[in-house]
Amino acid sequence: MQHTFIEILRRALDEELARDAAVYLVGEDVAAGGAFGVTRGLAQKHGTARVRNTPISEAAITGLATGAALCGLKPVLEIMFIDFATLSMDCLVNQTAKYRYMSGGQLAVPLVVRTQAGAAGGAAAQHSQSLEAWFIHVPGLVVVAPATPAEAYGLLKSSIRLGEPVLFVEHKRLYTMKEELAEDAALPPIGRARIARPGTDVTLIAYSAMVQTALEAARELADAGISTEVIDLRTLLPLDMGTIAASVSKTHRALIAHEAVLNGGVGAEIAARIGAELFDELDGPVNRVGCPFAPIPFAPELERALLPGSADIVRAVREMME
Amino acid sequence: MPQVAQAIPKIGLVMEEVKVVRWLKTVGDSVVAGEPLLEVETEKSVVEIEAAATGQLTEILVHAESVATVGDQVAWIESAEARVAGTSAAAPRSTDPQNPAPTPATAVPAARDGERIRSTPVARKLAAERGVDLGAIAGTGPGGRVQLDDVQRAIDARRAVAPAAEPLSSMRRALARAMTLSNATIPQFTVSSSVEWTELNVLRGEFSARLPADSPKLSVNDFLLQAIARALMEFPALNATFSGDPESADARIESAKGAHIGLVVAVDNGLLVPVIHGVEQLGLAEIARRRQDCVRRGLKGRLKREELDGATFSISNLGAQGPDRFTAIINPPQSAILAVGRQRDCVVARKGAVVVRPLSDLTLTVDHRVADGRLASRFLARLVEILEGRDWRLK
Repeated sequence: MQHTFIEILRRALDEELARDAAVYLVGEDVAAGGAFGVTRGLAQKHGTARVRNTPISEAAITGLATGAALCGLKPVLEIMFIDFATLSMDCLVNQTAKYRYMSGGQLAVPLVVRTQAGAAGGAAAQHSQSLEAWFIHVPGLVVVAPATPAEAYGLLKSSIRLGEPVLFVEHKRLYTMKEELAEDAALPPIGRARIARPGTDVTLIAYSAMVQTALEAARELADAGISTEVIDLRTLLPLDMGTIAASVSKTHRALIAHEAVLNGGVGAEIAARIGAELFDELDGPVNRVGCPFAPIPFAPELERALLPGSADIVRAVREMME
Repeated sequence: MPQVAQAIPKIGLVMEEVKVVRWLKTVGDSVVAGEPLLEVETEKSVVEIEAAATGQLTEILVHAESVATVGDQVAWIESAEARVAGTSAAAPRSTDPQNPAPTPATAVPAARDGERIRSTPVARKLAAERGVDLGAIAGTGPGGRVQLDDVQRAIDARRAVAPAAEPLSSMRRALARAMTLSNATIPQFTVSSSVEWTELNVLRGEFSARLPADSPKLSVNDFLLQAIARALMEFPALNATFSGDPESADARIESAKGAHIGLVVAVDNGLLVPVIHGVEQLGLAEIARRRQDCVRRGLKGRLKREELDGATFSISNLGAQGPDRFTAIINPPQSAILAVGRQRDCVVARKGAVVVRPLSDLTLTVDHRVADGRLASRFLARLVEILEGRDWRLK
């Protein structure tokens, strides 16, 4: 039986609440189900002490969750829209990410910050951004961005059990995607990418919803006789260069695709590392597909025009293969 | 630009005359100091002579099939930098008006110097590995960039047009000559024995643990080298070389001072036999260090001439993937070679019981002009005794 991304996230949270008494959910409206209904029904089942509503202050609730984690709980904080994680950043960057280091390893912050990113149809410039690259600049944080419902289930559980501060980035456009959940699947490790589709001619590196776009492009490219290997990064920090190296050493061509703007993006980091570490394997420049350097427009037509799609990836790969 | 003389360097101890086998470059070709320029034949082997300078080959003075003496000038290289390779003599060419510099016979290709060939890193890597000239490939990438596929096509094309019968590489030629000489002139016989490795396998672990972490790991070959050196010292009659025609009064058996042992190393389309000198004076750690050093340099083609000479005995060990047993042919002018079969578990009788032990078959090939069956079998028995014993020198 297939379940949506939202239902599968809810199940993962429900099971972790039942498994470990230190786990609790906190955030704006979470007791009422959250803005997208991910936590619906969990307050009734586990009590409002463990599924707690908060005032609308991302700065305050990130501090609260960090303090709770320092004191031994395992909070799962929901920041409604990554756009407002900007308000959490002082705490996340200067406190949450630093405690383990500055205490000489005596303190740990087992905190998962769930947040929604990406454009999903007319949410405009302040509710559509992909800001994950800001966080991969911070030593001490882990950044996870799942690409499918089943991946999200395992990665969320692994994140909760990791014992480190994790930013867990959910793409709003994936929320309605349905997938079957294998009942006895092993939990995916944090920090390890996966091959979403094997191929031999070009390596296409993506994460989050862009993995689906990349797979769509790969199917189209296969019809044109181009074999594309799609890597789903799963974890953006730390980056799994081993999987990337193995693939690029085979295909000798790399393209990174993400929905975020190209400037200073995750793709820039990966391209630089491929250039430095895999120079002798390259048969052409490393390319990137991403959003033009502009705010996401409100008008749906303009939003569609701006967002990178499978046609952009196909075009980029064809140019690389010429 | 100054002209640099290309001379024939002294290669072997006894070498005086060489025959030019072939020129690897023609007049007008550009050459790089240190790259093979011509092949000459000595009494021992065919040897490549390296270019003395970087520049353009302007004149060949001694052509193929002609004979030259060590020190003779054989060509002129016009060089901007007049950089001189260590092995060759060079002198600026006198500008004699009676004897003007000849014009190159063939057209000089348009100077590519300084012109960068647009190519991808992996294409350059493959081209370098396979000896393909990037400049000769038409790139199909953006702006004529040479890509991996272009290099691959050039390699495939070369393979397609390559004739079924190819001239020998100089290594293959030297090998063919040495083996033909061996088989034609040396009466060879073999004796075999098996050796048990139980004790040695344990000691190898113990010794390795006692060595500093940065020392090379001890291999079975290191133990073989030390054991053979010791046995050769105990049987000096086998540590010798035969020279001259047996019919003539000049025939000699010359004893060697010290144990100089060759180790056969397989390389692409051939083999090398680097020689470790004075093994009888070395501990296992030093043997391992020298063995690793000369094998590594041998694989890169960086062995000096004297490191391939002077042995009386060689080891051929085809390793864990090798055959159970085999016979090797003597590498002249040596007088023996030990072929080491792979180590394998065998059912054997020990003290009346059937047990399983790690064994190898050793096959010793001996020059019958130098030694006889009884000496060879006693030598081999002693070698097995040393290999199965605990008397080793580590440092």
